[in-house]
Amino acid sequence: MKDYIVIGSGIIGALITRTLSKYQVSVLVIDKENDISSHQTIANSAIIHSGHDPKPGSLKARLCVEGNAMYDTLEHELAIPLLRTGAYVVAHNNFEEQMLQELHQRAKQNGVLGTYFLSGDEARKVEPRLSETITKVLSLPSTKVTFPWEVSIHAISNAIKNGAEFKRNAHVISIKKVEDHFVLHLKDGTTLESKHVINAAGVMSDLIARMIEENPEFEIKPRKGEYFVLDRKAVGLFNHVIYPLPTKAGKGVLIVPQTHGNILLGPTSYEISDREDESTSREGMKYIKEHLKALSNQIPFDMIIRNFAGVRATSTYEDFYIQESKTYKGFYHVAGIDSPGLTAAPAIAKYLVEEVIRIDLPMKPDFDPIHQPIPLFHTLCDVQKQIEIQKHPKHGHLVCKCEKVTEQDIINAIHSPTGNDTIKGIKKRARAGAGLCQGGYCESEVLKIIARETKVKPNEVNYYAKNTPILVKETKTK
Amino acid sequence: MKTDLTIVGGGAAGLAAALSAIDPQLNILIIEREPRLGGILNQCIHNGFGLHMFQEELTGPEYANRFIEALKDKHIDILLGTTVIDIQKKTDFEITLTSEANGYQHLTSKAVIIASGCYERTRGAVQIPGERPKGIMPAGSAQRYLNMEGYLVGKRVFILGSGDIGLIMARRMTLEGAQVLGVAELMPYSNGLTRNIVQCLNDFDIPLYLSHTVTDIKGKDILEQITIQQVDDKFEPIPGTEKVFEVDTLLLSIGLIPDVGLFDSLQMKKSPITKSAIVDQTLMTNVEGLFVCGNALHVHDLVDWVSKEGEKAGKTAKAYLLEQKHEEKDLKSIAPGSNIRYVVPHLIDYNHLTEPIQCAFRVTKKMAQGQFKVVQNGEVILLKKAKHIAPAEMENLIIKPEDLKSKDPIEIHLEEIV
Ligand SMILES: Cc1cc2nc3c(=O)[nH]c(=O)nc-3n(C[C@@H](O)[C@@H](O)[C@H](O)COP(=O)(O)OP(=O)(O)OC[C@H]3O[C@@H](n4cnc5c(N)ncnc54)[C@H](O)[C@@H]3O)c2cc1C
Ligand SMILES: Cc1cc2nc3c(=O)[nH]c(=O)nc-3n(C[C@H](O)[C@H](O)[C@H](O)COP(=O)(O)OP(=O)(O)OC[C@H]3O[C@@H](n4cnc5c(N)ncnc54)[C@H](O)[C@@H]3O)c2cc1C
Repeated sequence: MKDYIVIGSGIIGALITRTLSKYQVSVLVIDKENDISSHQTIANSAIIHSGHDPKPGSLKARLCVEGNAMYDTLEHELAIPLLRTGAYVVAHNNFEEQMLQELHQRAKQNGVLGTYFLSGDEARKVEPRLSETITKVLSLPSTKVTFPWEVSIHAISNAIKNGAEFKRNAHVISIKKVEDHFVLHLKDGTTLESKHVINAAGVMSDLIARMIEENPEFEIKPRKGEYFVLDRKAVGLFNHVIYPLPTKAGKGVLIVPQTHGNILLGPTSYEISDREDESTSREGMKYIKEHLKALSNQIPFDMIIRNFAGVRATSTYEDFYIQESKTYKGFYHVAGIDSPGLTAAPAIAKYLVEEVIRIDLPMKPDFDPIHQPIPLFHTLCDVQKQIEIQKHPKHGHLVCKCEKVTEQDIINAIHSPTGNDTIKGIKKRARAGAGLCQGGYCESEVLKIIARETKVKPNEVNYYAKNTPILVKETKTK
Repeated sequence: MKTDLTIVGGGAAGLAAALSAIDPQLNILIIEREPRLGGILNQCIHNGFGLHMFQEELTGPEYANRFIEALKDKHIDILLGTTVIDIQKKTDFEITLTSEANGYQHLTSKAVIIASGCYERTRGAVQIPGERPKGIMPAGSAQRYLNMEGYLVGKRVFILGSGDIGLIMARRMTLEGAQVLGVAELMPYSNGLTRNIVQCLNDFDIPLYLSHTVTDIKGKDILEQITIQQVDDKFEPIPGTEKVFEVDTLLLSIGLIPDVGLFDSLQMKKSPITKSAIVDQTLMTNVEGLFVCGNALHVHDLVDWVSKEGEKAGKTAKAYLLEQKHEEKDLKSIAPGSNIRYVVPHLIDYNHLTEPIQCAFRVTKKMAQGQFKVVQNGEVILLKKAKHIAPAEMENLIIKPEDLKSKDPIEIHLEEIV
């Protein structure tokens, strides 16, 4: 029996787990997938928004601005990358300039600091590839970019260090209240028990809610967002996050420099019926290219290395829904966490624990907020490289040429407490296969390393989910 | 460590370059990241290699072995399992290597030949829409899994792109018991060699859908279904032409790209079309003493031409190293004219023009009959008739120094003969 079970290992579940692990309680975070953070948290714009856009007075506005500031602490505690890009919101004519003024008012109301205006020409001095038609720019210096799933992985690693546990392939299909606790029934027939449950199931959060109450106050209306990724060699083409003016549908199609040098282009925003439909579409890709013209007409589309889509957990409640269940005490919903959920995540975790749960248990005296990951070899300086390579000769074997990943980096990614044994899991952690050739070159080597390290046959190594082997049949020829 | 000539890559190009650079005065080093020499040839266990070079049909490994054997008792150093991760040009070249056996090492070299091969274009680069399950991979990766590791990647297969590797894998997987349901090609013509269309598709009744592309992919974790559609002359899918295939594997054979991404510190000038270095007829780049050859320079369809180009790079690198004083260059362009996509070499150096220029190029249009025209100052200085011209097949043309009327730029054009 646990004190707390957190359903969902997206960035929300991950940071809640870490926050709970500060207290003298037992915490288990579970996910239905074969890895940490496989949905919204791996398919978003990665922006730590300043908070210029949410409706003043909403939870979104408050937690976005608070969360943005908290990332400065997380950067050090969890060793996550944070790119202090700042952002430009652009206007093209009098009408848009007027809207930009209104947006500026809203930003100030929300408590966004340091904002100022630039003329189109001034902005182009800093970002020379901005479209000639841009006449005015609102600068938001507090906007940053992070590496979202690394935040989750490091947060859960840190929580584990402080006593929490993580369980993958734990798909909750029904929940029963029994006496003073909840029984979670999983798809594989097993059960888990906990005194408190936190629903951080992203686009599935209303389904989880309906497992224990008849009429939840929110319903998820999933909205898809599609993207292009430019190769990391595009680094420096844009150094700020570039936004058009926001509309009802969201923040629009953006240009977003990423922490590894790549540039993201997108997203689209349209409602879909199948909440797990993370497919890309021809129309979506056209839409992005069309809308980017208002931002820049100097985008090297020949540097596209991948496209992907994520599904936002937008809800009918229109704000983040962070409340205790009306039916059962001890059950908490952290639902409808769409954008700016990534930004707000640390503030959401704090708000839930301190203001909704109002935990009044003692803190662990030995809580250690620091997570020290083993750094990737290519990020070390020459002297450190020489030292590391002496200790671990497998750093001498370069496996992924595009992202400069060594065999030892891969071994580390497999064996850490939040490690993973799949091709995509390794890509998420060590970036092998995330580059220009998308693993065409190194996938077979990564596969062999996983097989060797986890003592399975090559045809038992999965692409990502359970039962997704890359190799399906052994042949006689060798 | 110090050497005269470093060859990056021990595939067909690197091996040929090493052999032809041999000289009692020169120290030559081949660096190869795999544990064995041969490069991509090692995974090409089908035959058909060497018709031009040896007038025989060899398998890939057999072809490579001819060169590896020839190297055996020669004065050449070879580092296997070692990757070149950076090259900088100071007075000499400063090269950083890494290997499990020796860790990080630094090396200086007077000249360098890059023969690092190519990589395969991916799904992302061509933006195929749909879901992203497992089961989609470049055909060369499937070839590697099958021929080097002994595993099939799927049982019901569709292939996008009619590049040679895809065609060869269609036959190879069929022979291993997989079912290949078809090949879709965006262009109205095949991108593979005619002999591969006949021997790998027609002989096995595998349909080739020309002017078709994959427009949807279904399957959350595992590939379940693909949709192909016919495209119009602007490559837009035509509604109503959808065909659905239930498959667990989609192989991509949609092109190869020279793999020179590790060598950015060199600041080689590159061609936007070949995505690799711009070279003169000696295969030297804008960086003095740096040569590029084989699939690292531009993608070849036959290994024989790779070997010939490697040989050329070896010879000219040797000449460069033995030259007492390096002459100034007098560079003019060899430009692609009508119906020509690119020409390698891109430049002609009139101050080092002693031998015939080996031009390799690709056309943009299929033609039953045509003529190639080399033009200088508006005047045709060379004419060559050819049959069965296709974008998929690399064309060759030799321009002799005496053909040239002046030291001006030249162009190569293709004219259709109807
Ligand atoms: C999958 C495939 C199938 C083919 N099938 C045929 C066929 O059937 N018939 C035919 O005639 N032609 C075929 N070809 C075309 C032919 O052009 C190639 O086979 C030819 O062998 C290429 O030789 P290369 O030396 O340029 O490149 P490669 O053979 O690719 O050699 C490059 C070598 O460089 C090494 N290398 C790369 N980077 C580094 C580095 N940084 N440090 C150290 N080493 C490095 C690589 O490990 C590799 O061994 C095929 C090509 C491919 C890609
Ligand atoms: C296209 C797009 C762009 C965005 N851009 C930004 C941005 O730039 N900045 C920003 O601040 N925010 C952005 N967001 C929002 C942000 O990504 C999300 O708010 C945040 O990732 C939400 O995290 P989460 O943990 O709630 O959800 P998720 O990451 O989706 O995690 C939910 C987890 O619950 C698990 N789960 C679901 N059902 C069950 C079950 N029955 N049993 C067990 N586990 C279950 C899932 O497998 C999943 O891992 C964007 C979102 C999208 C989709």
